[in-house]
Amino acid sequence: METKARNSIKRGVAIALTVTSVVLVLMMIFGVMMLLNQGNIIKIPPQLFYQVMTIHGTGMIGIASLGGSAIMWYFLSKYIHLNPKIFFTNLILTLIGVVMILTGIFVFKFSDGWTFLYPLPSASAKIYGSTGALLFLFGLLILGIGYLIMYFYIAARLIKEYGGLGKSLGWDYIFRGKKGYGPPSAVVASTMVIIANSVGILAGATALVESILNILNPNLTFDPMMAKHLTYAFGHIFANCTIYMAVIAVYEILSEYTGRPWKSNKAFLIAWNFSTLFTLMIYTHHLLMDFAVPEWMLIIGQIFSYANGLPVMVVTAYGALMIVFRSAVKWDFASSMMYLAMFGWVAGAVPAIIDATIVVNHVMHNTKWVPGHFHTYMGMGVIAMIFGFMYYFNKTEGTQKQNSVDKLAIAVYFLFFSGIAGSFLYAGKISVPRRWAEHLPEWTASDQVGAVCGILVIVSAVIFTIRYIMGLRTVGKKDQEQSLKSAS
Amino acid sequence: MYQSIAWYTSVFFIFLIGLAFSFVYGESRKLREYGPIQEKGYKIRKFYFLALVAIMGFGSAVSLSRLPYHEQHAKAQSNVKVVDVKGYQFAWDLSDENFTVGEPVAFRVTSKDVTHGFGLYDPNLKLIAQTQAMPEYTNVVSVTFDKPGTYKIMCLEYCSTGHHVMIKDIVVKPKGGK
Repeated sequence: METKARNSIKRGVAIALTVTSVVLVLMMIFGVMMLLNQGNIIKIPPQLFYQVMTIHGTGMIGIASLGGSAIMWYFLSKYIHLNPKIFFTNLILTLIGVVMILTGIFVFKFSDGWTFLYPLPSASAKIYGSTGALLFLFGLLILGIGYLIMYFYIAARLIKEYGGLGKSLGWDYIFRGKKGYGPPSAVVASTMVIIANSVGILAGATALVESILNILNPNLTFDPMMAKHLTYAFGHIFANCTIYMAVIAVYEILSEYTGRPWKSNKAFLIAWNFSTLFTLMIYTHHLLMDFAVPEWMLIIGQIFSYANGLPVMVVTAYGALMIVFRSAVKWDFASSMMYLAMFGWVAGAVPAIIDATIVVNHVMHNTKWVPGHFHTYMGMGVIAMIFGFMYYFNKTEGTQKQNSVDKLAIAVYFLFFSGIAGSFLYAGKISVPRRWAEHLPEWTASDQVGAVCGILVIVSAVIFTIRYIMGLRTVGKKDQEQSLKSAS
Repeated sequence: MYQSIAWYTSVFFIFLIGLAFSFVYGESRKLREYGPIQEKGYKIRKFYFLALVAIMGFGSAVSLSRLPYHEQHAKAQSNVKVVDVKGYQFAWDLSDENFTVGEPVAFRVTSKDVTHGFGLYDPNLKLIAQTQAMPEYTNVVSVTFDKPGTYKIMCLEYCSTGHHVMIKDIVVKPKGGK
């Protein structure tokens, strides 16, 4: 019975990772298409550009979340019993949502971006018709419902196993002086994610419902500033939680490869509690250029965005360095990707923190500096963790082994992803606005560099994906071999 | 100025982080007991934590004294030219388009339809100030032009398929010039 449940979990994780890897490559191709157009190398109509931009943003964040969920589900199921049906429910609702979003964008020309600002969808609906906007908005809503079902289920399981979410976040050790180590890092991180992301998704759902109601009945209007708060509370938290789910793989894999435990001591637990709090409160750094927002709220946005860097820099990244230091770690695809991904995450945090400085934001907000920093910690952080986990999954559950092409692909991926991130950040330095279909001649050089780097990143991603899908055939064979050996 | 500070600060800190990761990678093939490494590591971490807090504290103290929000709540001053700006898909309306070097200007920015971003670019295409143009809200951003030439107002918040054509040129005359 237990083996059957475990096999179901593995099957769910394998399907989620397959969808993730294929969609990732597709979204990367869309990303390069945009850079080629901005760099004047190809010519696509602005309408199509913005459709591609909308699917690139929605698809990337959605797929980072799906891949992160697979990591969280896989490792969490080692510590608490999880019902595989819940994961499949989320997966099916995600796929239904994705089909609706794709139809809305490519059939009905919805092109308002993934973090659209109210009342843009209803304004666009008046021009292009309401079907596309409604398909997109309801698609996102269904996707959110899938995640809420999964999070509420995990919350219920954690409460049953640990006696409350406070306890699975280590409050007994922080506030009540309990000795020893707290719950496993996967449990602590999952608790943080379900608390923060449930709040974020509920905020996003409210913003979605506002836009839907406004489209269906234009006389029903809402406060655009409140809607923007809700949109960015969702967007910021949801994007951040993809990292907090994926980093579970770093804790588990580096610990296993070095043979050193990554236990949740008091500093670790305090860091994750602060991450929970800060992730919920710092979304206001997306509204620093809304001068009508109370000044104290914007100052909080800056100060706590700085502070939010501390848990990752002082505890998680530092912990990764410490656990690897003189450990005789075996470097292979999985461990290399986890280690490099930690670098990518911290490196991306630097320009992100700088952008949260109000005086800097005044001349860099909504320039390409913004995609510059989030491409660094998403592409070289979260996505690298997901790719690394794919290899780890096939190796642990199957018999996949690393070859020289893998090594080369890792080097190419990180080298040229640095090129993409660098070209974006440089474009931000020279004030190139983000989300522009066409660029002035003064700006195109950085786009061209980014596009060339992007093509090579796609080559690596295709190699990772093919190797993962081929490696899936070996999953389960290890168990068969072991049972054959024990039988003989 | 802030763009260059952001760029060089990022490059510097990312380089330092890269050095730390490279050093640890270089040492990763050796094998030592973890206990003493943890003990020493935790000691170093205290100083590392304090150094980061000090850097962030310094950055906050310096930067928070120069916020661009002053004009939002300040009473109108007689020497400041007030210009009403309205954004709409896909153009900008200004109540006054005559600007002179050295003259303080307060742009009162709003929108007639969806949210736009009021981005002011100097003649070298460098972004010098911005604020959001949101329907039902007015954001006031103040600028004193320091050189003559053709400045551009560009939309910095995605506002639909004509977002990239939402550009308006404004000419700033030299002091005392025509």
